[in-house]
Amino acid sequence: MHPGAWWLWAIGLATAASRTTNPVLLLILIAGVCTVVVCRRGDAPWARAFRLYLWLAALIVAFRVGFRVVFGGGEGSTVLVRLPEIPLPDWAAGVQLFGAVSAEAVLGGLYDGLRLAAMVVCIGAANALANPKRLLKAMPGALYETGTVVVVAMSVFPQLAESVLRVRAARRLRGEIGRGPRALKSIVIPVLEDALERSLLLAAAMDSRGYGRSGRVAPGVRLLTGTLTITGLLGLCVGIYATLDGSAPRHLQVPLLVGGALVAGIGFVLTGRRVHTTRYRPDRWQAAELITVGCGVGVAAGFWLTARVDPASLNPSLSDLTWPQLPLPGVLALVVCVLPALLTPPPAVETPDRHEVVAQRHEVSA
Amino acid sequence: MTVLSAPVTRERSAVRLGPRSALVLTLASVAGLAMFVWPLFASVAPGSAQRAGEAPFVFMAVMPVLVLVVLAELSEGGIDSKALAMLGVLSAINAALRPLGAGTAGLETVFFLLVLAGRVYGPGFGFVLGCTSLFTSALVTAGVGPWLPFQMLASAWIGMGAGLLPRRVTGRAEIAMLVGYGIVVAYLFGILLNLYYWPFLAGVDVDYYAGGLSYLPDGSLLENLHRFGVYTLLTSTAGWDTGRALTNTIAILVLGPAVLATLRRAARRASYG
Repeated sequence: MHPGAWWLWAIGLATAASRTTNPVLLLILIAGVCTVVVCRRGDAPWARAFRLYLWLAALIVAFRVGFRVVFGGGEGSTVLVRLPEIPLPDWAAGVQLFGAVSAEAVLGGLYDGLRLAAMVVCIGAANALANPKRLLKAMPGALYETGTVVVVAMSVFPQLAESVLRVRAARRLRGEIGRGPRALKSIVIPVLEDALERSLLLAAAMDSRGYGRSGRVAPGVRLLTGTLTITGLLGLCVGIYATLDGSAPRHLQVPLLVGGALVAGIGFVLTGRRVHTTRYRPDRWQAAELITVGCGVGVAAGFWLTARVDPASLNPSLSDLTWPQLPLPGVLALVVCVLPALLTPPPAVETPDRHEVVAQRHEVSA
Repeated sequence: MTVLSAPVTRERSAVRLGPRSALVLTLASVAGLAMFVWPLFASVAPGSAQRAGEAPFVFMAVMPVLVLVVLAELSEGGIDSKALAMLGVLSAINAALRPLGAGTAGLETVFFLLVLAGRVYGPGFGFVLGCTSLFTSALVTAGVGPWLPFQMLASAWIGMGAGLLPRRVTGRAEIAMLVGYGIVVAYLFGILLNLYYWPFLAGVDVDYYAGGLSYLPDGSLLENLHRFGVYTLLTSTAGWDTGRALTNTIAILVLGPAVLATLRRAARRASYG
């Protein structure tokens, strides 16, 4: 699977989650995402990190609710429990510690927290399912240099531990057993020297393979990309301002933000044209990838439609307490989000990392 | 060699920062800063509190675009392979240093090398290193998410700022200056990222709920500043940020001179420019 497909799927789901505070829908969404992750993740280290995201999500919900209990949860009429209120000094005027806790406040925290938690779980799913090394391979041309830097960093990373072990062994052989700052210095500096030395060797090797070389760019094209980038950024600046200034007309906000991002994006793509590289065994977009992306976008569109037709069902009222509704379009949209668990190929058995490293080194500049 | 004792007055920057890149960087920094500090300055017309609740979600989409455009612009003229390899190696070290500190009461170990490298190799290099360090560390720990572009931009500023410090200062004065910068940066980083998380974690005030510490969409600057001040003081300034400042100070004091010398030697050998 192309890692970008998983990311687009997850971003679609996260967008959908950001539109609603309905706890039932959010819980169904989280369950769906977990199902896909369990069915389609490999056994790589990044896939095992999904558990951490679930913990983080739980922590966010707990934090949100806890915040409402500790710092004044007294708004609303249905008081659940009255905690003793702690008086605070003057500088914290307006802040209340403990006191009455109402059902409205706790539920408000719970709904908001669940929304954020669902988004975090979606992001965690993308992290677990998409192979970061393949994602780096798919970097656009404009980020060629930055991508190379990160690939270098990822492959140097394991060597650092080995370097630390070597330096420590050398220290022991010399009979140095000291601790404290001096010992720290005698480990850190040799490791740093070693790494920098290696970087110069690596640079020579990269030079001979044509890395860090870029094609000639006509002055006209440079002028064009520069103008596009700067115009786009100006558009973004004004768009952000329009988002934040309530008195600015609403119709300015979206076109400026989208337009600015588009213009800057065109400049971005044109900047990438100067890099002429071929890729060794690139990931291709095939049916499974397109279906996955379609599912993510479909869920987002379904929620957007629901918000148009029946906004109350997506954001349950907290002023009068009722059970949240279960809007049919929302539930149907969520069925779509689980489809990748069935329609995508199961993860291939991980070949050893060596293969990837060799593949990355074989990307030759044309 | 006499070269060793001569004061290093002017190092050539490893990543060039022409007038055009500087302009792009400035524009992007203004837009980025606005996306960090919006809760304090946003003025929301009465009755549209919903819009204020949407702003952070809009910014989540805009921030990555901003960071990508700046990175593409900085490497627009091509970066030579020695600088690429150096950036890669230093990013790997930073990514390795990061988990060492995380989880132990605000011991943040990423910044000291970022500050020192930015100082030696210039603002452009510092900016890119800040971005790539955080990105590598996120890839290694599977921590990519909407928070990443914000962290990348904040640490990129730290690296860039270190490169912009006055060049003339050398010797002990230089270490003192870097220690001071490290402390200021530790608190600023904490406050900026808190400001970004604040509306998410403490919530946005809406009709049915008015928490004492949450973001008030139609509140004045002072009102929100007060609420945020209490929030950040209670949750992080005393613990995390002070821990980060202390780590920076100790690391720069103990390792600074030797690391600076090592980095400068590497810069001379690589002869950038």
